[in-house]
Amino acid sequence: MSTQEAEERLELLQGTLDLLILRTLIFGSQHGQGIARAIQQTSEEELLVEHGALYPALQRLEERGWISARWGTSANNRKARFYSLTAAGRKQLVKETARWERLAAAIGRILAREAEES
Amino acid sequence: MLRRRRKTTDFSAETEAHIQLEIERLQELGLSSEEAQAAARRAFGNVTQAQERFYEASRWLWWHGLWQDVRFGVRMLAKTPGFTVVAVLTLALGIGATTVIFSAVYAVLLKPLPFRNADRLVAIWKKNPPRGWARNPFSPAEILAWRNETGVFEDVAAFTQTSCVLNGAGEAEEDPCEIASSNLFPLLGVAPIRGRTFSPEEDKPEGPRVAILSYGLWRRRFGADESAIGRAIEVNHASYTIVGVMPADFSHLYATPYGTVPAMWLSGIALSPTRTDNDHLGIGRLKPGIDPRQAEAQLDPVSVRIEQAYPDLKGWRAQLMSVRTMVSGDTRSALAVLMGAVIFVLLIACANMANLLLARGASRAMEFAVRNALGAGQGRMVRQLLTENLVMTLTGGVLGVLLASLGCKGMAALAPRFMLNSAPGLASGAADSRVLAFALLTVLATTFVFGLAPALQSARPQLTETLKETGRSSGQSPRSRRFRSVLVVSEIALAMVLLVGAGLMVRTLAQLSRVDLGFNPAHILTLRVPLSGDRYKQPEAQVEFWAHSVAAIQALPGVESASISRDLPIDGWAGQFFTTSDRPNPPAGQVPDANYIVVGPDYFRCLQIPLRRGRSFNEHDTETARRVVIVNEELARLRWPGQDPLGKQLRVGSPSSKEPWLSVVGVAANVHSEGPDFGYRAEMYIPYRQFPWLLRPEHLLVRTSGTTKPEDLVKAVVREVHHVDQAVPVADIATLEQIAREPMMEQRMVMALMVSFAGLALMLSALGTYSVLSYSIAQRTREIGMRMALGAQRRNVLWLVVGGGARLAILGIAVGIAAALVLTRLMTDLLYGVRATDPVTFGTVTVVLVASSLLASYIPARRAINVDPIVALRHE
Repeated sequence: MSTQEAEERLELLQGTLDLLILRTLIFGSQHGQGIARAIQQTSEEELLVEHGALYPALQRLEERGWISARWGTSANNRKARFYSLTAAGRKQLVKETARWERLAAAIGRILAREAEES
Repeated sequence: MLRRRRKTTDFSAETEAHIQLEIERLQELGLSSEEAQAAARRAFGNVTQAQERFYEASRWLWWHGLWQDVRFGVRMLAKTPGFTVVAVLTLALGIGATTVIFSAVYAVLLKPLPFRNADRLVAIWKKNPPRGWARNPFSPAEILAWRNETGVFEDVAAFTQTSCVLNGAGEAEEDPCEIASSNLFPLLGVAPIRGRTFSPEEDKPEGPRVAILSYGLWRRRFGADESAIGRAIEVNHASYTIVGVMPADFSHLYATPYGTVPAMWLSGIALSPTRTDNDHLGIGRLKPGIDPRQAEAQLDPVSVRIEQAYPDLKGWRAQLMSVRTMVSGDTRSALAVLMGAVIFVLLIACANMANLLLARGASRAMEFAVRNALGAGQGRMVRQLLTENLVMTLTGGVLGVLLASLGCKGMAALAPRFMLNSAPGLASGAADSRVLAFALLTVLATTFVFGLAPALQSARPQLTETLKETGRSSGQSPRSRRFRSVLVVSEIALAMVLLVGAGLMVRTLAQLSRVDLGFNPAHILTLRVPLSGDRYKQPEAQVEFWAHSVAAIQALPGVESASISRDLPIDGWAGQFFTTSDRPNPPAGQVPDANYIVVGPDYFRCLQIPLRRGRSFNEHDTETARRVVIVNEELARLRWPGQDPLGKQLRVGSPSSKEPWLSVVGVAANVHSEGPDFGYRAEMYIPYRQFPWLLRPEHLLVRTSGTTKPEDLVKAVVREVHHVDQAVPVADIATLEQIAREPMMEQRMVMALMVSFAGLALMLSALGTYSVLSYSIAQRTREIGMRMALGAQRRNVLWLVVGGGARLAILGIAVGIAAALVLTRLMTDLLYGVRATDPVTFGTVTVVLVASSLLASYIPARRAINVDPIVALRHE
């Protein structure tokens, strides 16, 4: 991928990375690289996951008890740390998703209006 | 939630796994191994940085960034030198002052006494509660009974205080010394630095006569010569063998206000169960678990039994006081007041710092908003700010400790003698490790006290607000402005309390020095010339000596008059019982007593003590003449109210005494013989040639005429004395003014320190008012410009600012008055002639504070009225 591409990608807003990690893990446990891949793929390569941000986020979520981690073996037999969603994390995901949808709708409404006016 | 922290290696493994997985994925997509590796590493970004962020989040290497913060802090502080200098100086003064007082508090109140089991050591006296007498010496009969008939003491040592004339090996000299029992030193657990202490055989009167030197005497008279041990020394015309030298700081026992540190200890205490003369003092070690009060209660029945055997001892009970209380008792309240005062100063300094930092935080709001936007967490920024503060406080602390070592010397110069006795380290200003630890603790505490609120405030930037305000000079929320006003109000309130305290001390000292002592201490030189030895066994020899020397001194140019006395007029109490002929048999326990003062002719003229009635003593009051006495007004008032005391008869001693009757020939004015803050006592003056006991005169009093300073006559007077007898020692050369000032030393010290603290407080609180107002002016430039453009007069603008300052001042003063009314009560012990709620002091202080606040608001106000509306409006 070129630098150009990378720059055109959207940077994640603060706080949204947590939500995306939780969302990704809903399909089962995954390691860090897999999570980053999944987010990038699912967003059709629109979202860039800063690795420097990914691990602190994982650390934070783990400390809050929303995800848990254990060492496991990846599909191609490599040792990796796998994260999975806890019950609390599941609850948090529902809450965060609802909040995000409200926020997105609100911002959408405003942007639509501005567009009309201009 | 508690969970085990992850290891760093665990995280490295995870990072590595991530990269490997990425490489494998890229290889699957068809990249070569090298390309895949490079791409994966590039995509992951800076591995080290990621790991650092991991540390940070998990607080693994919390301190790792400290150095970075310190360097950043120093750069930030160097950028604003004005702010930094003011801040560091404020802190240095606050910390320095606190350290000085703490070192005194530590040295006097907290430092462990250098004695074995010091917490169980008690000073032993006796007291007579019905008559209000305390701390009296006891007799051997009593101490032996107390020791032998109860189980409260582990050990008891006794000593008597006396004076020793040293002859041989240099000029004759006279020093205070003690005759001590051999167990005194082991009881205290203090070993001699040279030689040994006394053995029990040496306690016997017929035992070998041995002496232990104080460190001071050893150095002064023997040049710290090792060979002094074993040498003979002539003490009071008897030969003693020197057996030991005590260490230099063996003086804590003598830290009572009038305690004198002995130059020497002599053996041969001779405790006899039949002796009832009260000249012994004691130190005891209580058995574990018994406190002084319980011990006193157990000793009472013994005292009751002894007083039946010896009627002389009627009404007396043992009095025990822990050595710690004895040593510190008299300075405790002064030091407590000073410690409180200095903490106030420190609080004001902190409030000022908080204020400065808030103002600075507001001007740095952009910096924090940007850093926040760049991802710095709140904790990270608070930490950064606290580190900056710590750099500042530490610098201030180091300066403060340096200031403190100077301050300690200053304090030692002001401190009363007894305080220096109990805290020998005070004079040298030596920094004790514990004092340094305290200073460091103060530094840390102040950093948090003043720094936390501003740091939290700055680290929580309201992004929208800051953005909105970008480019405009207002940068503070109303809440923070209110907080700063609260700080200034508290500073003014604290300053008010300190100023009132200082004011009360100034008034106290003014009142004390205004007290008419009853004699005139100005222009008087005093010397102690103790006569002793075979040559002066006969009273005639003494009379001859005094007559010759006084006559010779009176003939000196510049001398107005000269006289002699046993004690100096403020030496305190040397009480004796007496009876009067019109009431010869007062019931036991009601025998009157009076200060017994042995004086020479001309005493009253020399000291300028007015005679109210009758005559003074003269050359005719000799051994063979009619026995006479002069009483003071207080004695006359108590004994013969409404009668003419002249011609009345009194007799010294108990009703059974066989002393001759003395006729009252004069009534002298009252004298404050125990210092200006004590009342009058009954006193009787006895002409020295008629003294019934061997209370020989010792002091020469020389009044100089108008232009001659007493100090200038020392040489001539000593020469005249030695002209009469080369062998008599001359000691304690002083002016009576110096001596008269001694009882006021404590108040003088407290006053000097309180005044400097209050001055500091006043300055700092004015600075606080000034900084808040000038900041608010700077913020309101636009508003003021607008007002002026709309027609506001300079007068209105001036009032706008000064009124703001006045509001803060009035609030602060109101709070301060309320606090001072409560707090100054704690000073009551130190006050004289002024009540803790003295309206004059409160009024004056209020005026001073209002004036300083107005001044502090006037300068920013001047700036405000000079605002040019056009410039102000365009400025935005």
